[in-house]
Amino acid sequence: MSVLEIRDVTKAFGATKAVDSFNLTVGDGELVCLLGPSGSGKSTLLRMIGGFETPTSGHVAIDGEDVTRVPPEKRPTGMVFQSHALWTHMNVFKNLAFGLKLRRLPEAEIKRRVEAVLELVGLAGYGHRATNQLSGGQQQRVALARSLVLEPKILLLDEPFASLDQHLRERLREEVRDIQQRLKITTLFVTHGQDEALALADRIVVMRDGRTEQAAAPDVVYREPATPFVAGFIGTMNLVEGAVANGTFTHSGFTVPLPVGDGTATLAVRPEALEIVAVNGGGMAKIHRVTDYGTHAIVDIELPDGTRLKSMTSEARDWSHGQPIDLKPRAFAAYRDNAAIHRSN
Amino acid sequence: MSLTPASDIVGKKPGRGLTGLLLVAIPVLLVCWMVIWPIISAIGRTLWLPNDGGTGRSFSVETYKFFFSDQYSLNNLYVTLWTTGVCAVLLVLICLPIALYLRFAKGRLAAYVQGLAIFPMFVPSIILSYAIIRVLGPNGTVDLLLNSVGLPHIRSPYLTPWGPVIGLVWDNIPLTVLILISGLGAVSNQSIEAARDVGAGRFAVLWHIILPRISNSILVAVSFTVLGIFSSFTLPYVLGPAAPEMMGPFMQRTFRDLNDPTNAITQAVIAFAFCIVFGLFYVRSVAKNRAR
Repeated sequence: MSVLEIRDVTKAFGATKAVDSFNLTVGDGELVCLLGPSGSGKSTLLRMIGGFETPTSGHVAIDGEDVTRVPPEKRPTGMVFQSHALWTHMNVFKNLAFGLKLRRLPEAEIKRRVEAVLELVGLAGYGHRATNQLSGGQQQRVALARSLVLEPKILLLDEPFASLDQHLRERLREEVRDIQQRLKITTLFVTHGQDEALALADRIVVMRDGRTEQAAAPDVVYREPATPFVAGFIGTMNLVEGAVANGTFTHSGFTVPLPVGDGTATLAVRPEALEIVAVNGGGMAKIHRVTDYGTHAIVDIELPDGTRLKSMTSEARDWSHGQPIDLKPRAFAAYRDNAAIHRSN
Repeated sequence: MSLTPASDIVGKKPGRGLTGLLLVAIPVLLVCWMVIWPIISAIGRTLWLPNDGGTGRSFSVETYKFFFSDQYSLNNLYVTLWTTGVCAVLLVLICLPIALYLRFAKGRLAAYVQGLAIFPMFVPSIILSYAIIRVLGPNGTVDLLLNSVGLPHIRSPYLTPWGPVIGLVWDNIPLTVLILISGLGAVSNQSIEAARDVGAGRFAVLWHIILPRISNSILVAVSFTVLGIFSSFTLPYVLGPAAPEMMGPFMQRTFRDLNDPTNAITQAVIAFAFCIVFGLFYVRSVAKNRAR
């Protein structure tokens, strides 16, 4: 059953459309990541779901009820902001109890619920602390708890870990996933970090210029990107523009058999799927640089026209600068007119 | 083995402390010379009065006794306190909505409102006084307009305690608005949105989120206006009643018309004593902010 339905939503700021004819349906208990670069409209979309922006056109429905014009205080959503947005004149307990007090719950019930949610986010006993006595990670947990304590139908997270360091971000990401699964709460998570989206989401919606580029499960988005933009945005991808003639893709000496009609095409190959073969002379390309990461090595390859490609290899072989090589993509996709025309796995 | 004290390792560069002291020396000396010394001198001159015979001085609280037993002086003090209190309340009530509007509104209208709110700052008090007389005084613009549609004269606030109140409130709007806007600048949009997100309506956001966060700014604004209004002269002198009068005109009249400097200084010391209470509020608030 769908909890959230976004139908044909557009948000324009003057002549600029931040969100453009956007459609999305989110099921009960689903965790959807809105992923895209800065300015792709993901935060604006989240703010429209939360009620902080009103769509220029289109509808937002929660549990079948149209909430397009309903103010945030009357929506069954809970938002966690990037900057935590804790109220510094209140201690942790008062921050969490504020929403419950507005709902005129009995004191004992407020105390019980606040303590339970503090326990849930791993901050039991922190109720009396001032918010400025907490670390960045603890503040973000309080912000999460503040939303969870009201038991919203939809939890909205707007790049909540952007201000935290990498280590903390990874830990909190796992905790959020655990909590979300335990509570089975429908969640929308805005991020521009592909790792975060791949690690967290049941479904990723890749956005660009206010529109959906692809909406699919993380592994599908990673393995079968629908457009060259998604291919380039998720993970590392070699994207090469070239010409197809007689079933062969060619770009500056780099050739790949491609059984599609003649014309131009964009070839997309993951570094881990680009095999390097040593040759004695000639070759399609040359080694430019090898970076050893211990568990694997990244080889930078230079085509004759200066185009750079990356290959990931686990072989402990010594590639040297200028060494001639041939390239064999084990798996690749080809795009034409912003759509996939061939996949080879 | 002995350890080198950390302070020695971190090292104080010689002369750095001295440079800092020199930087503050001139303002501190000026404050001592032009503020602290006159205060001490004034207090001294009102407590060590010349003896009857004209030879030497002796300790006496006679001038203070006179002030607090003289009904006229007390009425003047009362009207000053009343004017200050009413102005402070009106200023907060008028300026808070303006500051809230300017903080959250965008666009050209907000820019015009801001310009209008700051405008009184550029109008000298004497011009403002005469403008008020021309508009609200007997046979002023308001009277003429009412008369033209057959309505009776207004009860003009000119030469009543409300005259200085209107002038002082108008005169102090810019400073109060600016202080409140600066306080509101510290309230982030996201903290307000977070409050709305948990169910707070506009009034709850104002009461529970905005006002507690700007209480310090309100205190600073009130302290500033109280300090200015308590010792104001031009507006109460031109717009206010002859009796009772505010402390500013009262001091001037006692000093010049009655040629009684000792009692004028006593009035000044009493006015200062009231002002210093609000000054201390201000200093405490600044210190509290610094400590955060």
